[in-house]
Amino acid sequence: MKSMSEFQLTDLLMKMYGNSAEAIFFFDRTGKVLTMNSAAEFILNAEVLDSMAAGDAEAICMSCRGYTNEQELQTCISCYLKSPDEDFSSFQVYLDTKGKGVIPYTASYQTIDVENGIRVFMLRDLTKQYKTQEMLNQKLITKNIIKAQEDERKRISRELHDGVAQEVLSSLVELRVLKYMNVDAEVLKKVQQTEGSLMRLLDDIRHLSVELRPATLDDLGMEAAFRTHFKWMEKNYGLVVHFTAELDSKRYEGEIETVVYRVCQEAVFNALKYAGTEDLTVRLFEDDGYLKLYVIDEGIGFNLNSIHPKGTGLGLYGMRERAELVEGRTTVLSEPGKGTSVRLEIPL
Amino acid sequence: MNGQENFNYQQEMARLRDHFDFDFVGLALVQSIESRFELKWVFTMGNRSNRYRRIVLQTGKGIVGHVFKTGKPLLVEDAEKILGGKDLYNYPIIVAEGLKSFGAIALYEYNRVKGVLLVGYRTEEKLTLECFTEFKQVVGPTFGQFYNKEMVGN
Repeated sequence: MKSMSEFQLTDLLMKMYGNSAEAIFFFDRTGKVLTMNSAAEFILNAEVLDSMAAGDAEAICMSCRGYTNEQELQTCISCYLKSPDEDFSSFQVYLDTKGKGVIPYTASYQTIDVENGIRVFMLRDLTKQYKTQEMLNQKLITKNIIKAQEDERKRISRELHDGVAQEVLSSLVELRVLKYMNVDAEVLKKVQQTEGSLMRLLDDIRHLSVELRPATLDDLGMEAAFRTHFKWMEKNYGLVVHFTAELDSKRYEGEIETVVYRVCQEAVFNALKYAGTEDLTVRLFEDDGYLKLYVIDEGIGFNLNSIHPKGTGLGLYGMRERAELVEGRTTVLSEPGKGTSVRLEIPL
Repeated sequence: MNGQENFNYQQEMARLRDHFDFDFVGLALVQSIESRFELKWVFTMGNRSNRYRRIVLQTGKGIVGHVFKTGKPLLVEDAEKILGGKDLYNYPIIVAEGLKSFGAIALYEYNRVKGVLLVGYRTEEKLTLECFTEFKQVVGPTFGQFYNKEMVGN
């Protein structure tokens, strides 16, 4: 290090000044811009540059949208330019940049020459880091939301199944006892009608419970849960699902089973809504260390590259999100007129 | 089913279909105790799919479920406008049969809804309010062992 000559250091500093992605400004005591590098020129609007060249001490304010202090996200109170005594070695500032609008920068404002009052103002673009952080947060949040949703559904589903449904069932049994007591025909007819209503109510509660989250999924595994679900789909929508499971009732981690179940549910619902078909095929099998789920229909299909999806367009996104929770991935193959196939692959 | 021998539902439905030139006529009835009192389609006319056979209707769901639950007649002059294209999958029969304009009435027995009669066209706004009113009049106060409560009430 010591062997480096003054000349070499100057050369390196000049290169850094010229090629760095960081914007560097030099201010004099009065706040006038002495010089700035090309990265700095690049982010500022033309009129700001003009007024800087003209020596306007407050030219930077035309671009500056305030910095972040403890009180506010964007403020001008005790501005870094005007308060030389405060520590501005690292702070966040918002600038209105050329072509990109207002974006946050990490900035430092330091005196480098006390005698002449020269200060350097350096800016580093934070957008990229923010995006990375945001993505990370988003993933974490999605994961937590999905988990919270599943837990809550499970709770309500259990409550309905073990609490409400049981109560209705015992009322039904008590009502049936009336048939063996000495009551006249008129009453008996009424009792029978009530029995019918109660039975339908019981079915409704059970459906609701299963729809929220099937207890079979936790107790008996995917295969059983799927069979119940497809049966229900057939009764409700008249949709026939040809289901083959080659797992021999094997059980997997709870999270994996939930993901497979939900992704399949979504894929089947999509087929029901948009494929315009009355039957479809679902295959569940293990292959090459992966658990695979295929949902195949021979419906109308769709253009994968279409920018205007039918429906919300969130379904496919949701499936991918869920799959990512267990390091799995989804593939959607479709072509107009050739049907659609959704594949889910989860490493075991 | 009780009383079915005495009344020919299919014949009556055919009469209604011919009178109004309906594209579709369907009758859903509550089944016996052996079938857990399920509400299912019993007769249909003009159907182009067999999807209805697999369906067990649910109270409050779909057109028939709605009529069954409320006991009130329901008229949908234009499916696209009233139900919206997006959630149409919740009405599987309407989708499967391609009905665009339809109406349904509740059939009562012993003060309870025991069945639903659905009629419709595959053309938008063909079943108008006047047409539906006339249909209710042609059906009359009774349909087999069932009756139309509104008529009795008036």
